[in-house]
Amino acid sequence: MGRFWAVFFVASAVIAVGLCWVAPSHGLWFPGTLKGGFGAGVAHSSIGKRIDDLFYLVLVIVAVTYIGTHAVLGYVLWRGATIKAEEKVLFSHGSHSLEVIWTIVPSGILLYIALYQMDVWAAYRFKEFSPKKAEAVAEVTARQFEWRIRYPARGKTLMPTPQPDDVYTVNELHVPTGRPVSISLKTEDVQHAFFVPELRIKQDAVPGLTIPVWFDVDEPRQYEMVCAELCGWGHYKMKARLIAVSDEDFGAWKDKAALEQFDDGFKKPAE
Amino acid sequence: MASRLISINSFAQTVTKMSCLRSPYRLAASASQRNFCCLAVGIAVLLSGCGPGPKAEFSLRDATGELIPAAQKVVKKTLDEKFGTPQNLVAWQRFPVNYGGVQGSVADVSKDGVTANFESDLPAIHKDAPLLWLSGPRAGAKTSVDSVATFDTTTKQLKWAGSAEPAPAAGDKFVIGYGGNLQTGRVVYMKNCMHCHGVAGDGAGPTAQYLNPLPRDYRLGLFKFTSTLTPEKPTRDDLTRVVQHGIPGTYMPSFRWLGDKETTAVVEYIRWLSMRGEFEKRIDDDLSNDYSAVAMEASAKKANEAYQSAMKTAKKEDRPEKPKTANQLTKAALDEFSKYEKDDLPGVINDTATLLAESWKKGEEADSLIVPTVARVTDNEASRERGKRLYLSDKGKCYTCHGVQGRGDGVATEDFWKKPGSDEYYSHRGLHDTWGRPLQPRNLTLGQYRGGRRPVDVFRRIYAGIKGTPMPGFGRTALKDEEIWDIVNYVMSLQFQSTPTKSIVTDHATASK
Ligand SMILES: [Cu+2]
Repeated sequence: MGRFWAVFFVASAVIAVGLCWVAPSHGLWFPGTLKGGFGAGVAHSSIGKRIDDLFYLVLVIVAVTYIGTHAVLGYVLWRGATIKAEEKVLFSHGSHSLEVIWTIVPSGILLYIALYQMDVWAAYRFKEFSPKKAEAVAEVTARQFEWRIRYPARGKTLMPTPQPDDVYTVNELHVPTGRPVSISLKTEDVQHAFFVPELRIKQDAVPGLTIPVWFDVDEPRQYEMVCAELCGWGHYKMKARLIAVSDEDFGAWKDKAALEQFDDGFKKPAE
Repeated sequence: MASRLISINSFAQTVTKMSCLRSPYRLAASASQRNFCCLAVGIAVLLSGCGPGPKAEFSLRDATGELIPAAQKVVKKTLDEKFGTPQNLVAWQRFPVNYGGVQGSVADVSKDGVTANFESDLPAIHKDAPLLWLSGPRAGAKTSVDSVATFDTTTKQLKWAGSAEPAPAAGDKFVIGYGGNLQTGRVVYMKNCMHCHGVAGDGAGPTAQYLNPLPRDYRLGLFKFTSTLTPEKPTRDDLTRVVQHGIPGTYMPSFRWLGDKETTAVVEYIRWLSMRGEFEKRIDDDLSNDYSAVAMEASAKKANEAYQSAMKTAKKEDRPEKPKTANQLTKAALDEFSKYEKDDLPGVINDTATLLAESWKKGEEADSLIVPTVARVTDNEASRERGKRLYLSDKGKCYTCHGVQGRGDGVATEDFWKKPGSDEYYSHRGLHDTWGRPLQPRNLTLGQYRGGRRPVDVFRRIYAGIKGTPMPGFGRTALKDEEIWDIVNYVMSLQFQSTPTKSIVTDHATASK
């Protein structure tokens, strides 16, 4: 029976590692553009890439620890199961130096992770470290169950209150690519969360607060934008699109949207 | 199997003979859909331990429930026959609903099938898809709906299940997947709309009770925010706009993320539900004059009271005759009804369908659309001032409901109002809509535009009013188009009367200090 457990724990570790190894190529990894043979989804914002890097760092540490401890566990179980009656056993319980080692080493690793990630965290969460030139492109107001979005007119800056020439969309957030932009996130009713999985950007919208969220998008295309906070029975309906376009296209889109929004329905009679 | 013809009239025959009843076709769920549903339900039961919810049903209107039982039965039977059930939709071709499907024609007849031509790009054609013949010998009574057995995408060979006779001829037209729009629409509706608007579009879904304002009840055939003249139905574009943009200030969210196909289909389904509901309403209106059990009870009670009081004072010789009891009245009505059902009802159904179909068709016509005859008057101080004067004038009278400041607190909101067509008053102060619910005039200072914020939207609100509400239309009668534009300019400026404050997020670095 002892041999069985040795094999069991080693085999389960091998299966777990194997599954993780093949997961990316089967689309069971982060959303984003799949890259190369490995096939892991790559984030489409600079902060998203840094967040992914943090994840991979932690993943490597965990993987080494996991494989190492399971190898030792397997060895110990196997040794214990196959030991001959006349062999002398090694009794290590209460070893002071061992206890010190496995307290200090993990603490060191945890401390390292805690310090190492602070830079990314600060860059994302604290204004001082975010790109200084992030242009406020829109005010995004969540409500049950949709996103209402207000943009300043072309060439103007976003004001905290609506302006006569503002442009509006609903459930479609248009942003320019290639440079940091920010949105002012609000909610009209309960708590919601702004989440663009492919950018790795997630921020709660809290009643009474206007929260600036900055990000940049590297590829012009559409991204899924969802609510990541269970906000009521219609939470599943809070699906929207983030439409990233080049700078020129963004200006052109805004002109077109403004034209449509100020449409007076009058058609010049044909001459 | 997927589709079955239940009427004796074919589509083709009735195209030429417009007067006769066009045939309804059943649009059942396909076998694979059903299997999938069974599987999904089975898994859900295993996982959660709960049974499936109650079977979806088109509930009847309250007014139908007040009819004498025989009349109720007939209404239900008619609705089932013409519109089907949520599980088994019926496409009644009298109505201007785009039921969906791909049109094609026979290019060549071969031994056991035909080669087909399609008007659009080659569609995806599935086995069991209903195949409806529009012309030629197969369009005759019993053979007009087949189901696709095989379709070869390269040779365009089409074979169908069932009899080969009568064989179609080259040039015969057909539709494959007839009713596809309605079926897709049903799925989209049940997933996203039913929760509030109810299975029958009665605005009484499970969530409705928690909402204010309540979800729209489509069964009056009335939609508030349209681009059409006051008496007209909404266009498909109007409904699509509401589905895509939502209605701010209400619980109607935007469904922008639905695909084009889904949006088109759900709009068609909502139009169909509305036609179904209004058809029921009109039949009810017709029947409730003579065959309402509730009305009979009330009148018998009234007559009896009058009789009792008369008996107290009247002399012996001129005592009034004892009035009929409710039971007697009902019995008499029952006898009359069976005659009515045989002689008049088919005609009533026919006329109702015609009128209803015409009204929806008319809504889509170009001259139902409100198009301003002049461009928006330049939005300046002078125009707004003119608009303000009109707003406060006896011509516009906007202030009576929307208030002098535009805050939606006019004197009309303080009054008690009579219910339409009766002497009874509403129990609540203020205005009510056609559905009988309390209604607040819009607060114009919030910048919240339920029917859209384009100037043309606001123009149309003033021009044609808001259907089903006390907001009247001013176009063509009280106000000229230029005057409406002045009011639009004034009303749209109300939101910005306070001074705007400076930018919040221009620079994160400075903003944080
Ligand atoms: Cu939400």
